[in-house]
Amino acid sequence: MINLIKKNSFKSLIVLTYLSLLFLNREMAFKAIKNSTYYLIEMLQILPVIFLLIVAIEVLIPKKWIVKNLGNNSSFKGSLLALLFGSISAGPIYAAFPIVKMLHSKGASIKNIVIILSSWAVVKIPMLANEVKFLGPKFMLTRWILTVIAILAMATIMDKMTFKISYANKKISKLEVKSDYCIACGKCYRQAPQFFKSINKKAILVDENIQIDNENDKKLLTEIAKSCPSQAITYNI
Amino acid sequence: MDIFTIIFWVLGISLFIIALKKDKDSSTQAIKKSKSMMGNMIFDIIAVIFLIGLILTLIPIDTIQNTLNSSNTLVSSIFAAIVGSLTLIPAFVAFPLVGSLVDVGAGTVVAVSFLTTLTMVGLVTFPLERKEFGTKFAVTRNSLSFIMAIVIALVMGGILN
Repeated sequence: MINLIKKNSFKSLIVLTYLSLLFLNREMAFKAIKNSTYYLIEMLQILPVIFLLIVAIEVLIPKKWIVKNLGNNSSFKGSLLALLFGSISAGPIYAAFPIVKMLHSKGASIKNIVIILSSWAVVKIPMLANEVKFLGPKFMLTRWILTVIAILAMATIMDKMTFKISYANKKISKLEVKSDYCIACGKCYRQAPQFFKSINKKAILVDENIQIDNENDKKLLTEIAKSCPSQAITYNI
Repeated sequence: MDIFTIIFWVLGISLFIIALKKDKDSSTQAIKKSKSMMGNMIFDIIAVIFLIGLILTLIPIDTIQNTLNSSNTLVSSIFAAIVGSLTLIPAFVAFPLVGSLVDVGAGTVVAVSFLTTLTMVGLVTFPLERKEFGTKFAVTRNSLSFIMAIVIALVMGGILN
């Protein structure tokens, strides 16, 4: 129970505040609940749409093709592809760190990785519906155009600088999960519960020192590592 | 439902059907993935929404308006950007949060600088970023984003007001 509260400290705090408010000032508590309900209904009207859009984009837009064409191409086309890649992805910006690092190691320029990171944060296509709903179409359109310009400017500035990005070749650990980046899609522990389990919604390894000899397991793990949406799983045969 | 929500519903459903027709297997995979991702987020979303309810009830609207729209737009947008930089939250919950502030009278400039830094600049996630990309990259990206957030906000305030 105490652990549960610790892990959900933010949610527990909200519940606690409401409970004490109910006790201290019943009228205010009801007013707060009424205010919340209004936004809750607004949110529920748009949430399923975001879900549908995320699924449709994932199936219809070939991410592999974008990655292949991104390369170290700093041209306008490369920037546009980077912008597209960031805008169609789901999850908070830190979920993008490992993916973007992987792209950089494959030759994507600093310019393009800055574009992906920034657009990932704040110009997401499925979220346009959300922004229009809560802030209006004029607000959305103006902000979108200005943000894209700002992102391109930022990327151009950073491209002129040099950065040392290290790829620490850590001990040859074959199967690894970086739980910090897990966005809890649940794919790994659903597909291979013998290797992965979830603790506090994040995926971790069942056995840190596991030896994988079975060919089928190797195939399965390679496939899972490839399809992890935030590239949090690494597996080297 | 307003007209834009209806448009997005039509768009969402049509694209979803096209995706299902095009590739049923990867659609099912994508559905499963998004479902558990959203399922894990839903309680955080609800918690933030109830936080909005609390803020709107406990803090008098006059106070919110006065704090957020102090006579100097630059000062108030920098203030909003600093608050937004402390933590990093997904765009998902950032929009209703910022929308509620606008509903009670926060100006465009404040709303935009808060929104941009909320999703782009994160002190909490800074260590993660530094670990992956090095100190120089993380510092440069976060500070440039911070400046851009204020610039975007001020320009937008000029256009929309």
